[in-house]
Amino acid sequence: MTTYFIRRILLMVPTFLGSTILIFIILQMAPGGPLERTIQQLQAGAMQQGEAVGSVGDIMSGGSSVLPESAMRELKRFYGFDKPVYQRYLIWLGIWPREIKHREVEFNPGETELNKNIGRGQYMTLRLEGESVVVLDEKGEVSKIWKAAIDKEGSKENQILTTLFQTEFSGILTGNLGTSYTYDQPVTEVMAPRFKVSIFFGLTGMLLTYLVCIPLGIRKALNHGSAFDFLSSVTIFIAYSIPGWALGGVLLVLLGGGSYWDIFPLGGFRSPTDIWETMTFLEQVKDQLWHAILPIIAWSIGSFAGLTVLMKNSLLENISQDYIRTAFAKGLQEKRVVWVHAIRNSVIPIASGIGGIIGVVIAGSYLIEKVFNIDGFGKMGFQAILDRDYPITLGFLVIVVVIRLVANILSDIALATVDPRIRFR
Amino acid sequence: MAEQQQISLSILKKRWLKFKTLKRGYYSFILLVILYGLSWFLPLLINNRALVVSYEGELSFPIVSGYHAGTEFGQDVPGEAIYRELKQSWKQGGSDNWLIMPLYPYSPYEDITVQGNKMYDPPSRTHWLGTDNTGRDVFSRLCYAFNISISFALVLTTLNYILGVLIGGSMGYLGGKFDLFFQRIIEIWSSLPMLFVIIIISSIIRPSFFLLIFIYTIVNWIGMTYLMRAEFYREKSKDYVAAALSMGQTNFKVMFKHILPNALVPIITYFPFSIIGGISALVGLDYLGFGMPPPTPSWGQLLEVGLQNISKAWMVFAPVGALFVTLLMVMFIAEAVREAFDPKVYSRLR
Repeated sequence: MTTYFIRRILLMVPTFLGSTILIFIILQMAPGGPLERTIQQLQAGAMQQGEAVGSVGDIMSGGSSVLPESAMRELKRFYGFDKPVYQRYLIWLGIWPREIKHREVEFNPGETELNKNIGRGQYMTLRLEGESVVVLDEKGEVSKIWKAAIDKEGSKENQILTTLFQTEFSGILTGNLGTSYTYDQPVTEVMAPRFKVSIFFGLTGMLLTYLVCIPLGIRKALNHGSAFDFLSSVTIFIAYSIPGWALGGVLLVLLGGGSYWDIFPLGGFRSPTDIWETMTFLEQVKDQLWHAILPIIAWSIGSFAGLTVLMKNSLLENISQDYIRTAFAKGLQEKRVVWVHAIRNSVIPIASGIGGIIGVVIAGSYLIEKVFNIDGFGKMGFQAILDRDYPITLGFLVIVVVIRLVANILSDIALATVDPRIRFR
Repeated sequence: MAEQQQISLSILKKRWLKFKTLKRGYYSFILLVILYGLSWFLPLLINNRALVVSYEGELSFPIVSGYHAGTEFGQDVPGEAIYRELKQSWKQGGSDNWLIMPLYPYSPYEDITVQGNKMYDPPSRTHWLGTDNTGRDVFSRLCYAFNISISFALVLTTLNYILGVLIGGSMGYLGGKFDLFFQRIIEIWSSLPMLFVIIIISSIIRPSFFLLIFIYTIVNWIGMTYLMRAEFYREKSKDYVAAALSMGQTNFKVMFKHILPNALVPIITYFPFSIIGGISALVGLDYLGFGMPPPTPSWGQLLEVGLQNISKAWMVFAPVGALFVTLLMVMFIAEAVREAFDPKVYSRLR
């Protein structure tokens, strides 16, 4: 059993690599990426003379609509497009050295040695040796920190352009998801608060669905064919026929104060921070609940129908089995037969569904987050695609993929725990 | 007569008879088929072009012939004739000219704002479900979107099935390296959040109807493939397959002539659920703005406008209502189909 799970965990690695390679290639090959977008923005900015375009603006020759070569080079380097795709992927993973702290050094014809200021009064000496560049520190030894390379695209006929840089290994494997283009913050910092919001909704919703669905399913199975069973089936049909986020929209219209009753807020995770901080603890709890009720209803409705039916059918199936007949035959009371013998076997399919639900908790809720205008994890990922914010998009997908892979294994562990007959090999 | 009843019916026929006894599902099925059939003739029923125009003794059929300038019918308007006004003026003037309009004379693309400000008109007798943010008739858009939604789901499901049977069937039947290879691909594929991948692709290329279906198919074939793999894997070891093989049937024939008919149960019972998935996905994508290109009528787009202007309740209720009723009907069908194909009799001792 243990070896099985160890193998499963090891198998995660190729799957993870496969899916990230796939996403990476789709994103990198896509036209209209961040580079094109920035160039467009800069050009549009240059057209409207006199308007500030941002820090890169001053590199540009004022007014012309074509970016100068050096600015292009810098942009390409910033977005990492100066490297082939496979290198970009490996750098992003963190197993290929990432070049940082770039400085450009130009060799005039005939020159083979140059000094370059690297700040704090320190100088590095660059020496051209054929096709390569050697960096020497102040003692005249080959520098271990600084490296240099010839930029073939940037070099003209007689001028050789080289770049001086440091390298480091930093990528997702070292926990560095990069820096967001739009928020101008490390991706992890952008994610953390939003992740908490989504977890809050996900866990509360999941807990509620389980608390409602399992008893409801049991009751429905035990009273199969009764009026209660019929009425709750109607509710389940309705719940299944309307996507949660669409139901959320209807609830907002009805109860959000637009056209009918004004009971719940129109959206948001909680009251704005400045109001939130003046509240007492009790008020905060109340405010949080007040904001969360509608989204949680919308969130739970989808799994509500499926889970109840699953529970009901599973129990019904078990109750008609021979071992229940035996239990009755040896004179056990009905309560004991149902609650001890039948239920235990009926929760098996539900336990195996746990992993799937965890995956949905994180990624499946951006429609709901959009409807209720909640600044959650899913909405962040969605917005990142719109903004071509690749570090966030990739980071988002990485986290979702990992969660799903882990959730799958968790499902199996849960299954093996509730069902001792199951032997994974 | 009694002798005829002795003849045993084919299993499919039995199932069909059983399905017919499940009234809720059976009537939903008939209603849905009729509605979908009708929806192909929507241009005849809901449109702003006249079906027949008789002007000074000459008949013309704008619904077929398309564009007619207003001046052709003596109407002093720039561009195309406005048939509704034409009808009214001819009626009031008591002229010999006449025209027949479709039952509901508004097109889903027609901007009615040109005739007075009709933006966000609440539901009324002329506009049954009001108008939207650009003054287009909501009811008319809703009906056209019904056709598109169902067609989308049908084509999508069919494609998924073809892929699923081909790939999944081969995986289960052939096994070996082929199976292993595709299993890894499926594992990778299914670890990705699919709606998200569609959004990424859609944000790069603006999809048309078929492009969207294509994109959706490449991310959505897994469910059916897995189902078919399991089915073919199970059937392969049965005696009839061995018998067919020993008689020299080719693999191809064994797969599609012998095994496939025996794997029909999951194919058919899964069908309505796949339709539900397709419809909901399209609504979601349209809501996010990554579905059909505008101005294609769609429920999701209506809902998006409605949720931005929460006080315009009909813009939310109309599409959600349409979606709900459609999905509910498909659900009823799904329930009945499952009951007919895979009946479960639960017995209880007490």
